[in-house]
Amino acid sequence: MNVRPYIHWIWLAPTGALLIPFFLIPILLLLRNSFYIDSPMGFLVPGFTLENYAKVLSDPYYLRIFGNTFLSAIAVSIIALLISYPFAWMLAQASGKGRVFLVWAVYLPIYASVIMRVFGWIVIIADSGIINEALMRIGLIAAPIRMINEVEGMTIGLLHRYLPLMILPLAAALSKVDGSLLRASSNLGGGWWFTWRRVILPISIPGAVAGIQLVFASVLSDFVIPSMMGTPSFPMLAPSIFYEATTNARWALSGAMGTLILLSVALFLICMNLIMRRFAPWAKL
Amino acid sequence: MTNDTPAHFSPGVLSKFYVNTVIFFLIVPILVGVVVAFTSGDRMEFPIPGVSLRWFYDALSKPQFIEGLLNSLIIALCSAVLATIAGTGAAIALNQYDFVGRTLIRAAVMMPIVIPGILVGLSLLFTLSSYGMEPGLLASTIGHAVVGIPYVVAMVLAALANYDRSLELASLNLGVGPVGTFMKITLPLIKGGVMAGGITAFLISFDNISVSLFTARGDTLPLRLLQQLRGYIDPSVAAISTLLIIGSLVLLALLLPFVMKSR
Repeated sequence: MNVRPYIHWIWLAPTGALLIPFFLIPILLLLRNSFYIDSPMGFLVPGFTLENYAKVLSDPYYLRIFGNTFLSAIAVSIIALLISYPFAWMLAQASGKGRVFLVWAVYLPIYASVIMRVFGWIVIIADSGIINEALMRIGLIAAPIRMINEVEGMTIGLLHRYLPLMILPLAAALSKVDGSLLRASSNLGGGWWFTWRRVILPISIPGAVAGIQLVFASVLSDFVIPSMMGTPSFPMLAPSIFYEATTNARWALSGAMGTLILLSVALFLICMNLIMRRFAPWAKL
Repeated sequence: MTNDTPAHFSPGVLSKFYVNTVIFFLIVPILVGVVVAFTSGDRMEFPIPGVSLRWFYDALSKPQFIEGLLNSLIIALCSAVLATIAGTGAAIALNQYDFVGRTLIRAAVMMPIVIPGILVGLSLLFTLSSYGMEPGLLASTIGHAVVGIPYVVAMVLAALANYDRSLELASLNLGVGPVGTFMKITLPLIKGGVMAGGITAFLISFDNISVSLFTARGDTLPLRLLQQLRGYIDPSVAAISTLLIIGSLVLLALLLPFVMKSR
């Protein structure tokens, strides 16, 4: 249909002018840097070594950072899934004003800046925050429970930041369950367990997979919540990469850490897609 | 036969309580922040001793906040314009033309969504010096535009999904040039998607931290607020964040009619 076969390249030119020099080449350089050598003076020396990877994957300090980050990503994904599933079901079932209200309630945190959320949580869970003040006033505790700048506080912050990313895809998937399917199942003698297992669960799998992918990848690379609500005794990847790249000027090492995050995210997305292909082959990938 | 959902799947008292608890969890930290912004006291305490606007005056008289706000506005505006132009073009190419490698290019264009923001920033920092550039307004504008492009592409593609190509072909057949056809036919039809994409790119840039960490010199508003939170925390951070929430809600309200119309 097209007379001029090159015209789509004109439409793509502005994107190419931005993405090639400022995204694709930099990502390739990140991969290349990970094989270079950091000189003690803070320069990047060309070469080829696997030392950076060997260091990151054998030094207990770095292994702990990876372990902590994966543990948090898995824990937050599971907690978020458990909290979101019933909520998303009710969101999908709601109609009219109730639904509009629920959708706004889920979207509002997305549009409030992450700084505001951290601030709100500091007011609530700090040592002299709302919860500790209240518990001390009614005499349940004598000294404040330390939550902020602890693993607990960080988990609450991560959960709060990424819960909407789990709720929205789950609700989108669950809204495909309509009353007629449920009536059909119960007319055919299926109890609630049977109906859930055979009707609702299969329809919800693609939404759950999408939610887990979003939450897992986001926690893996979150900088603000770990550095503002977490603790140095439980170091996380993104703040560590920032620290290595800027304060320590170890570009090759931070390149290797970055490459490992990229690989883990890619591997995780592929695994989840394989799981989905196995258990929900009807879903569009 | 009624249209109701079978009883055991419809909401009861317990499930209403559950829904309200989750909403409480999602909204309360933000509400607490907004309320503390209006405190008349000196500390971040809740409930607040009295209502005043003093922390709004305080926030707006802090030069580091105002400078950060200006930098962030410049970066967000410029990067949103860049991302909108580039993303709209890419969406049109991907939707209207059939060419070898389309799937690959589509994947490449959407990739900045999948790559963690700190890696976009870190890798850009590695590269800037080879282009003779330094961290600053220009580098941040470009970095944010890269992150914004996939959102614009996704929203313009959605607008193009129910777009009737025969109008465009008719216009071309009647002798209107490709530029005229784009301005008079294509653009008005996908205006909603373009606007939605542009505003989303603006909001994403304005709130961005992970890319700015590497591409800015610590002088965007979110980075300034982060520094303030690290050091001496006072309600001025909440005051300026409250203004930002109001701002983005106004932008969203402006956006809604466009989104509704394009559906």
